[in-house]
Amino acid sequence: MSASASNWLYGAVQHRRNRGLGGLYVVVAAFLVLYAALFPGILSIGGFSKFTQNWFPLALVTMAQALLMLNGGITLAIGPLVSLGAVIAATTMGGAFGVPGGLLAVSIAGIAIGAITGVVVAHLRLPAIIVTLAGSFIIGGAALILLPRPGGFVPDWLSNALAGHTPIAFVVLVVIVGHWKLFLATPLGLGIYAAGDNPLGAFRSGVPIERVKIVSFALSGLLAALAGLFVAAQTGSGDPVIGTPFTLNSIAAAVLGGVGFIGGKGTMRGAICGSLLLSVMINVMFFLGFPPVAQYVAQGLIIVGAVAVPELLAQWRAGR
Amino acid sequence: MKDAKPLLEARQVFKGFFGNPVLKGVDIALFPGRVHALLGENGAGKSTLINLLSGALQPDDGTIAVDGQPVERLSPASARAAGIAVVQQELSLAGELSIAENIGLGAYPRRFGLIDYQALHKGVRQVCDMVGLTEPLAMPVASLALGRRQMVEIAKAMFRKPRVLILDEPTSSLSAHEAGILAGLIATLRDRGVGLLYISHRLNEVQALCSHVTVLKDGVVTADQSLAEIDGKGLVRLMVGRETGELFPPRPPACPGAIRISVEGFSAGLVRDAGFTARVGEIVGIGGLVGQGQEDLLLGLYGAIPAKAARAEIDGKPGLPGRVTEANAAGIVYVPADRKHEGLVLPHSIASNIILPSLGRLARGAFRDRSAETGLIADLAKKLTIKGDVARPVQALSGGNQQKVALAKWLPLDPSVFLLNDPTRGVDIETKREIYLMLRNFASEGRLVILASSDTPELVNLCDRVVVLREGRIAAELTGHAITEEAIVGAAMGVTERVADKEAVQ
Repeated sequence: MSASASNWLYGAVQHRRNRGLGGLYVVVAAFLVLYAALFPGILSIGGFSKFTQNWFPLALVTMAQALLMLNGGITLAIGPLVSLGAVIAATTMGGAFGVPGGLLAVSIAGIAIGAITGVVVAHLRLPAIIVTLAGSFIIGGAALILLPRPGGFVPDWLSNALAGHTPIAFVVLVVIVGHWKLFLATPLGLGIYAAGDNPLGAFRSGVPIERVKIVSFALSGLLAALAGLFVAAQTGSGDPVIGTPFTLNSIAAAVLGGVGFIGGKGTMRGAICGSLLLSVMINVMFFLGFPPVAQYVAQGLIIVGAVAVPELLAQWRAGR
Repeated sequence: MKDAKPLLEARQVFKGFFGNPVLKGVDIALFPGRVHALLGENGAGKSTLINLLSGALQPDDGTIAVDGQPVERLSPASARAAGIAVVQQELSLAGELSIAENIGLGAYPRRFGLIDYQALHKGVRQVCDMVGLTEPLAMPVASLALGRRQMVEIAKAMFRKPRVLILDEPTSSLSAHEAGILAGLIATLRDRGVGLLYISHRLNEVQALCSHVTVLKDGVVTADQSLAEIDGKGLVRLMVGRETGELFPPRPPACPGAIRISVEGFSAGLVRDAGFTARVGEIVGIGGLVGQGQEDLLLGLYGAIPAKAARAEIDGKPGLPGRVTEANAAGIVYVPADRKHEGLVLPHSIASNIILPSLGRLARGAFRDRSAETGLIADLAKKLTIKGDVARPVQALSGGNQQKVALAKWLPLDPSVFLLNDPTRGVDIETKREIYLMLRNFASEGRLVILASSDTPELVNLCDRVVVLREGRIAAELTGHAITEEAIVGAAMGVTERVADKEAVQ
């Protein structure tokens, strides 16, 4: 992938795919400027680190959600998976294998749960929304069984590294996004788009649509569980219900980022921008002292607006 | 040609769906370097045969052979591996992916596990040059017009360097220029020794491109011969002429009543500039190949899609219904082709489906009048000879009986115009007979029946007048003895131009 000629088509494809995101970039930039004007602290290393740490878990779960939405699915089990990831991290890191053991346990749990969900959805042909709804109860229950009350153990050095005064979380995010880009450049990764857009056509073209779906769910599970590990490091303990708001926020951020519900529509870049936007909005409203209720109402209105405005614009253009 | 081995053959294949035989012992053999045409009317079994040849379906009996070797279970994957490519009517493209990514889909060149975009670019450029695709290869397919997407689909089939290429109605959405490029491409492939199967309803195209023809009629091969020995009229004759027996009620002598619908310059959806009149007591058929605007014509008259007309009169009142409720108020009702989704609420009972359009009329104030409803349901069930318990869900009924319920629910409104879209598709023969009799009775009660049908014998034997649509325009209007299968199929395929309507003058 080093020679520039080999990347001409690749670059052009990426350029076309991301072209529609200009408006979103402008909105995100405007909010970031507003944020920096209100809280100049973000411009220091420490402020930037704190800011990206607040954003990090939402970015991860949004990727987990967008991955499935691009494939024409959805998951309602994000929140419980985050909780389970946090709980597993907090209960295993004190064990014989320490932090590496905990990381491994969280990753395996995320991939396994995702893959099982994917097998049920792909091979039994059940609707993803129902399967993941059922899954969310089971996973949430498992988290509560593992750790009925917040607790467990997360080594201080890990908390300091991930949620301290250095932007390590941001670097980790960049690395994860880089891996996604690599994955999307494989036939299997591109199959997520193709199968989400036109499953029958993809099947006829020889795309292994069942395998694509299972891999999507597995990767989605991995991302959500890792978000849980991060949350555990951030809070210094495992909380079996801490992930709950992430389910709907992940959908909201993906939708804000232009990912459609019918599959194949949208970009991961947009979804990540959407999560950044949502994160900034929540922070701004919080620091401006909005009462929590007003925050939720404003959040809801903004999401509906984000979906409605492009739709209305398209109708208006078509009508002319 | 005789010494060459066929690349792909079907030998005595049988295939049926739900006990309804579609293919009854069909043979076809594709040879290298030959363009083979497959012709047949709607429902003759062409699509099923293509699906068998491409591994999408398995034959009930008989074999599919590749290079003379029978293949046990041909799957889409093994068909692809054997070099069989199909350009389907429904496109297999992913709209958000680029032209290049679509063309390579399922066959991407790889390097270190990643898609090798450089190799992909080279391969795609080559096939795009062959089919005349000049758009940037990075462009998303969703931003292309339908005809260009069809060309991408063709390029996609070419990308796999097929030995056998099956083209199902490839030109239906192409411009004349694109169709010309495709014709050149087909000639090139033929000279390279590719075996081609070409399915089209455009006879002139078939005659220009193909050298051999197989004609299917009712799942049986009626011709397998060189195209040079037969002309367009001869081909049409081979496609038509099904046994109908006593299926249709006797047609009463024509006694045209008052004009009920009269439109000029009518356009709706695909329909362009259509003009016709329909009278009280008539059954007017709308024929043509699938998707030439038949449904849009009905929906336009029903006010379900935007329609406009230079002049329109319904029951002497000018104007078309703007909305479905207006059409209903004017006594116009519509029975859709897709009864499972549009015509009925499947999990609900027969009774509640029948009563649905009448609920408002029967209600007393804000409350339903149960006893009036029960009376009406019993009355209708008897009239329609629907046997058994009306509390059963509609989905428990056979396709034919479901269709009867979809028809019956309108009767209490005493409609003056029935718009029917392919009411007998997938309906068993006994119920067909009942439906035909019902329609004839509607007409003799002084209603107007407008019937779009993909079944030509139905048009010939049931209708008093037939309008044939071709590419959204009226290609022919036939009356009385002029309604023959030859005339309808000929007009639908563009063999005969606008047949003079002698009977009407009489």
